[in-house]
Amino acid sequence: MSAPGRWARWVNWVQERETGETLALLRIALGLAVIGTISTVAAHDLVAFLWLDAASGGYREVAGHGFLYGIIGVTPATVWGGVALGLVSGLFVTLGLGGRLPAFIALKAIQELTDLNGSAGGSYDALLTNALWLLVLGDATRTLSFDCYHRSGQWRDDTPILAIPRRLFLFQLVLVYWSTGAQKVSNYWTPFGGFSALYYILQQPTWHRADMAWVAWIYPLTQVMTAAVWLFELGAPLLLLGLWARRWPESRLSNLARRLPLRGMFAVFGVGMHLGIEALMNVGPFSFISMSYYLALLWPSEARAALDRLTRAVSPKAAPG
Amino acid sequence: MERLKANLLALLVAAHLLAITLQALPAPGGGMSRSTWKDPTVQAEFDAWRVRLNGWGWDGTTAQLEDQLWDFAKGFMERRDQVLTPFKPYYKHAGTTQAWRMFVAPHRYPARLELDVLEGTTWRLVYKERDAEATWRGRWLDHDRVRSLIFRFSWRPYRKQYEMFVRRLAKEAARDFPQATSFRARFFKYQTLSPEDTRAGKAPSGRYVEVLTVPLGGAP
Repeated sequence: MSAPGRWARWVNWVQERETGETLALLRIALGLAVIGTISTVAAHDLVAFLWLDAASGGYREVAGHGFLYGIIGVTPATVWGGVALGLVSGLFVTLGLGGRLPAFIALKAIQELTDLNGSAGGSYDALLTNALWLLVLGDATRTLSFDCYHRSGQWRDDTPILAIPRRLFLFQLVLVYWSTGAQKVSNYWTPFGGFSALYYILQQPTWHRADMAWVAWIYPLTQVMTAAVWLFELGAPLLLLGLWARRWPESRLSNLARRLPLRGMFAVFGVGMHLGIEALMNVGPFSFISMSYYLALLWPSEARAALDRLTRAVSPKAAPG
Repeated sequence: MERLKANLLALLVAAHLLAITLQALPAPGGGMSRSTWKDPTVQAEFDAWRVRLNGWGWDGTTAQLEDQLWDFAKGFMERRDQVLTPFKPYYKHAGTTQAWRMFVAPHRYPARLELDVLEGTTWRLVYKERDAEATWRGRWLDHDRVRSLIFRFSWRPYRKQYEMFVRRLAKEAARDFPQATSFRARFFKYQTLSPEDTRAGKAPSGRYVEVLTVPLGGAP
């Protein structure tokens, strides 16, 4: 195919539309993630300790700052203002109130607050801001939102929206796995180190919830899991390849891609892995945010069917159809 | 007009994908510190790779491997920085930073924070990471964001922040332990046990590092 032909196909693919249930579910989960991420810092009385300077209760002589706090200054009023703005915007994102603006405000709140002390955070902050940016780009309040109710008098709206934001969520998820997998060059992740990485990671006191010496008695299982996690991460792009191949004309590969339950296999392993991490380690909101991304695996029709079943279960008379 | 908008959107999506993929490509990032490379965990990795490379015919020492990797990584990071420069405003303002170096290697020589107060002539342990008994200020110190800080503090580049952290905690200790005359923070650095040693009931051996003591205003 010629370059103009490829470009035209790309443009058409980017323009493909679908109903908005999946993006709405992503919006709800990520709004809750924003609230959870900020509120635990406040609930543990850590706002001043982590994000302000020593004169205001922090541990550092001078607090760091990102772009906006560099302009408005880091004071108790501005930092607590950022906390309040983050919580309110997170609530608005969850409820689907105010279009794309609350997602952008939530993104900025998370980014600016965590930039106040870059050492006190983790990959989950970037995972969350990346997700919020995709909510800014997408029409995430089309359905299952207060905006929808205000606009149409209904909670559901079947007007198609661009599918690309949901697809970008999937791409981001796969990129995270592949990138982290490709950087696991330690011996312990490989056959040379006996696939012992998970066992030794679980012995580090930083993240674990309780003493993990007991895993020495199930060491072979940790070896299997090390190999499985490493291969899952490195092989994550196969999910995108498989989903793409399903659209190809009849061929052995496209037939295989259609037959294999790719999304199901990916979701079962991935969500299982995050539940395992959550059970054994305290990694903050990482597991919740990561699992929120998995909602992007749902086709909107599946999300709609699940919502219909839920509506019927909660209120039989209100169920559509 | 619709066609132009569609082309523009397709272009922006392509630029987004390019930007995030380029930054997500493997890179040492914050690990570019010679003092960090001297940590026994990192040194053990170099040594294991040196043994393997020797087996594959490369004739060099661990120190040579480290030097060559340093030169390569330095050049790579400089080139990477140039390539990413046009995208930096996008990462910064759209929150699309890609830094996914998660659990890239187990830390075989972790450091466990311990905090003590001196009461009379006896040091009393008041906080120890993941300890069920010594839980003073656990509400702060066990939060995931503070865990992240404490993990960094045992690495040399974070020494100044660690000192400020300890001084701040000493203020709390002075309030909570009015009889105490000193506050001490230190890390117990040890090698994690192999599964065989754990099953055999061995205890990890190590030494205290990064010991800081702050006098408190308590009664003598």
